[in-house]
Amino acid sequence: MENLNWLFYAYGIAFLLLFGYLFQIGRRESALRRRIGDLQATVEEHWKK
Amino acid sequence: MREISAADPPAVPIWMAGAAALAMMVHLYLVFVWVPTEATMGIIQRVFYFHVPAAIASFVACFVGGVASILYLVKRDNKWDDLSLAANETVVVFEAVNIVMGSIWARRVWGIWWTWDAKLTSAFLLLFLYSAYLLIRRATPVEVRGPVCAVICILGMLDVPLIYMSNRIFRTMHPAPVIGGGENSGLDPRMKIVLFFGLFTMLLLWGCMVRIRRRVASLERAADDLVRRTNEMIDQGV
Repeated sequence: MENLNWLFYAYGIAFLLLFGYLFQIGRRESALRRRIGDLQATVEEHWKK
Repeated sequence: MREISAADPPAVPIWMAGAAALAMMVHLYLVFVWVPTEATMGIIQRVFYFHVPAAIASFVACFVGGVASILYLVKRDNKWDDLSLAANETVVVFEAVNIVMGSIWARRVWGIWWTWDAKLTSAFLLLFLYSAYLLIRRATPVEVRGPVCAVICILGMLDVPLIYMSNRIFRTMHPAPVIGGGENSGLDPRMKIVLFFGLFTMLLLWGCMVRIRRRVASLERAADDLVRRTNEMIDQGV
């Protein structure tokens, strides 16, 4: 039974690392898309003036 | 340069993300329910079905990162630098998974968390090298970043054969290889199925990660370029 707990710890940490990383790069992608959208809007606005 | 827009398709196609999620669930079912328990080590041996595929995924990532670095040095095309960065970052993630799981297994089976034997030390060296790569990448000026990082990455790739061969050449505490390890090695057919399915799952997940990270790298480049162009426009009073 104790070994089963250790097995869950091992898989838990592994999943935390893998999905934590996936979550982090997914968030970074959407933040960059927003930033590029804002920058493009700024440039377009500048040209209109 | 191609314009980036919110309407761009996602970095990972839906079918690929769905297949990775489904494969992960099936793999967990196989590991926790279907596969027989190993006779001597007991249930903790099931760490093996995630520990080994994570190691192999990190080796594949090293190889892809190394080849992309060579192509970058030859062609000087940023897409290869982006791919190399994406692959190298996943080396750190998968190697960390491999080492943490191995360490937990060792605590139960050997009674210690860590020992500096050839296999473990060379695996730690890989994690250390690629972590250093990521730090150096941040610290290096943009103009020389690509070539400097490509050279480090190619050197890092050389550690992979050392890890693979270490428990074949040296006497180590690490268990002997169960596949391709000689006469006395071998694995129960059901264990082999779970191991190979785990490898398939891990590579699918790795593919998703690399695609997203490569997209992030190209978006970062596009954002830097836009900022530079905007500043130039402001400076010229356009």
